[in-house]
Amino acid sequence: MLGQELSETGKRLFRDFPILRALWESGRKKSVREAIGLVEKAEEFNRTFAVPRALELDMRMEREPEYFDWEIMRQACKYRFLSIFIPKQLGGIAGEFMVANTSLLMDELCSGCSGIALAVGAHSLGVAPVITSGAMAHWDTVLREIVEGELKQQPVTMAYAITEPSAGTDVEEPEYLEKAKLSLEAKKVKGGYVLNGRKCFISDGSEAKYFTVCAALDRNRPLQTWTTFLVERGMEGFSTPRVELKMGQRAAHAAELLFEDVFVPDSHLLGYEGDGMGNGILMIMAASRGPVGAIATGIARGAFQHFLAWAKSKRNGKRPIEEDRIRMALADMWGMVQENRGLYMSNAILGDCIFGKALDNPVMNLTLSLPSSLRTNKIMRNFLNSYYGKAMINAVLRFYIKDEDMTQLLETASLAKFSCADNAMELCSRALSLMGPEDSEERRWVEKCYRDAKLTQIYEGTNQLNRLVVNNVRFEETLRVEVPRPFKKGVMA
Amino acid sequence: MIGVPWAKESKQYAVLRSNALNFASAELAPVADDLENTVDSPLLWKAVEKAGEMGMLAALVPEQLGGEGVDLYSLCVALEESAVECAGFAAALLFHNAALVPLVYVDRKDLVEEFTKGRPLCTVATAGEVSLDDGKLNGNAPFVFNVLEGTVALLFPGSGEGRKAAYMRTGAEGVETRVDPYPLGWRVSNFATLEMRSAEPVFVLDKSEKEAVTATERTLYLGLAAIANGIVRKAFQKAYDYARQRYQAGKLIIEHQAMRLMLARMLCSMEEGQAIIRRACGVEDLGPAIIAWRRAGANACQAAMDGVQIHGGYGYMRDYGMERLMRDAKYCQMFPRPEEEQLLRLLDMVEQGT
Repeated sequence: MLGQELSETGKRLFRDFPILRALWESGRKKSVREAIGLVEKAEEFNRTFAVPRALELDMRMEREPEYFDWEIMRQACKYRFLSIFIPKQLGGIAGEFMVANTSLLMDELCSGCSGIALAVGAHSLGVAPVITSGAMAHWDTVLREIVEGELKQQPVTMAYAITEPSAGTDVEEPEYLEKAKLSLEAKKVKGGYVLNGRKCFISDGSEAKYFTVCAALDRNRPLQTWTTFLVERGMEGFSTPRVELKMGQRAAHAAELLFEDVFVPDSHLLGYEGDGMGNGILMIMAASRGPVGAIATGIARGAFQHFLAWAKSKRNGKRPIEEDRIRMALADMWGMVQENRGLYMSNAILGDCIFGKALDNPVMNLTLSLPSSLRTNKIMRNFLNSYYGKAMINAVLRFYIKDEDMTQLLETASLAKFSCADNAMELCSRALSLMGPEDSEERRWVEKCYRDAKLTQIYEGTNQLNRLVVNNVRFEETLRVEVPRPFKKGVMA
Repeated sequence: MIGVPWAKESKQYAVLRSNALNFASAELAPVADDLENTVDSPLLWKAVEKAGEMGMLAALVPEQLGGEGVDLYSLCVALEESAVECAGFAAALLFHNAALVPLVYVDRKDLVEEFTKGRPLCTVATAGEVSLDDGKLNGNAPFVFNVLEGTVALLFPGSGEGRKAAYMRTGAEGVETRVDPYPLGWRVSNFATLEMRSAEPVFVLDKSEKEAVTATERTLYLGLAAIANGIVRKAFQKAYDYARQRYQAGKLIIEHQAMRLMLARMLCSMEEGQAIIRRACGVEDLGPAIIAWRRAGANACQAAMDGVQIHGGYGYMRDYGMERLMRDAKYCQMFPRPEEEQLLRLLDMVEQGT
């Protein structure tokens, strides 16, 4: 019966992810079908666009690190990958399986080219804080603009700016943030904030139109004053002066952001002052580290596929797969891929249990079913941006998203992130060692995967940090995500 | 300086190590990034010229044939010190020196003179499948470095114990060169696949082939182990320096236990590498050389990867010099033959009493 209803991709996914089959058979056919459809799109994106240009683009980016291939974003628009995190009620494609779909999409895209996939995925990382902070005033403006741009294939993209030149790991964990040496500071002034300082290694930083930016209001009390802002390219004093030449994942830029007296109006404060860690980073990391695990898995799977093709091809009269050691290695590698998928998918399903209710409930549906003109008029916008407006949204969030759930999600996400990344690195390394000095297209691909995989051990919190997070949540119970409470006072107030 | 062997070396090697390190610091360190970005750059030839002045272009060739006549451990010392600053350059020197090894067995001063002019450097092709039929070379040899117009390449046509040693020039009739513009590591010279179709060799060894092939292999394996160890030392130095100046969680990275463990493992790798190379250089067998290569290669990969990790995001960026070590280290492990294949060969050797 399954066979008649499912495409080849669907059958493959059911085989690789039995959880999808279980969801299908328990009545979630519509959402599972969406997931399969998304992966089919990703397969087509890879086949027709990403794979044919990946190696060449990677080479070009080494010669011209500042070059950006906008065709990536235009193609992403075609398949609607830019609205993977934007709820359907706002015209996006995020449904019941928002986190799972994002993970499946990243796994599939990264099996083609993780650099191209990162350019697409980092945008959604930028979008996420606008959603999770409940900044409804911007849902009808920024998010709508992204959706409309996508439909017209005129990409409007976002980026999430956390890392600073002297603080990477430090800004992703509350205990460390307290001691972080920060560069960027936001000073409260009449009508808004003035930002000065730098961010670095920001994925998609030189292309994005909108940025969700974390900054301390007081660098001496970073944890208490860590705050998220919405910054627009074009704001006076804001620039992106430098892009890095990375070892891998090159198709996406890692850019420096420079803030020189950038005035950000009050309306662009996302959430409350001082909730940038609990409401911001930890919540985003809980939602995004799983998909980063999926990125690593995709890279590993890409390397595996090339290694498998190599193993099956004839080399000097015989096929490597005829040797037991290669067969064993293939089984080991596939085991790593499937182990990864188990980890990131568990996290994703949990994430969707939590966020699904928050984004799809009577209050949210009623609010979002109103004509957008009602929500975007000045009175409503001012209300949503006000202390009471934010309190109302937080009350809804608080009702559906519990601290315990978010804390557990952070734990599973961090576990998936470091395990998947380590497995990916090991798989790529082993594949190259087994291939040895080969003149083959497969070796070139696996070398690229080897370079690409390393970044997954570093970004989204180093693997060391992620290990500590698992410990701190699970064994010592010293880390807990706090969802903002209604009427929470801003710490600077 | 950390990274110099703890066990005291004899004065001869200590002086050589010091000279080689000075050469690497003065000639290679300032240009290592440029060498990687521009294949066949004038900077490379300037460094090669200096290496020639130090006797590193015919290191293993006996004095009566116009070489330096040093032992293999001396070459390893020079390569390790060079690799601290630029593993690609050290690899280029190794391939050149290894290519000259078979000439020792035939006493051909004329060929030594012809092959050691310095530009282009000679090279060795160990991978792929090449045959020698009726005096002509056929087949493909991938993963060949130092390839320019007129490069002399040493090939091992045949298979197993029956391999011969033959020299051939790129650019000769029947030889096609397919350059791979984008190798993972060792990017100072062209990296290519040589395709031979009835190509005329310059010279084919007509005696002591087995000894010559084994001696060349031994040179390659131990040289690569030395280069790998140079990478471990550089990774340690850079990571250690960085860990002592960068703060994380309110304290220096060096004060974090997980990072200290990584650094301590690098220390072990350095010492392990140097000990195992020294030991393998003291015996004529190929087995210990393969074991040294295998261990040092794995250590270099791990050290470079940990070095990148200690640097965090900066480690991943070209401008900070760590990621090159990770790329170069992997080739120390992948070249000249797949690791597991050589592991199995070790057991064969023991069983056959060779």
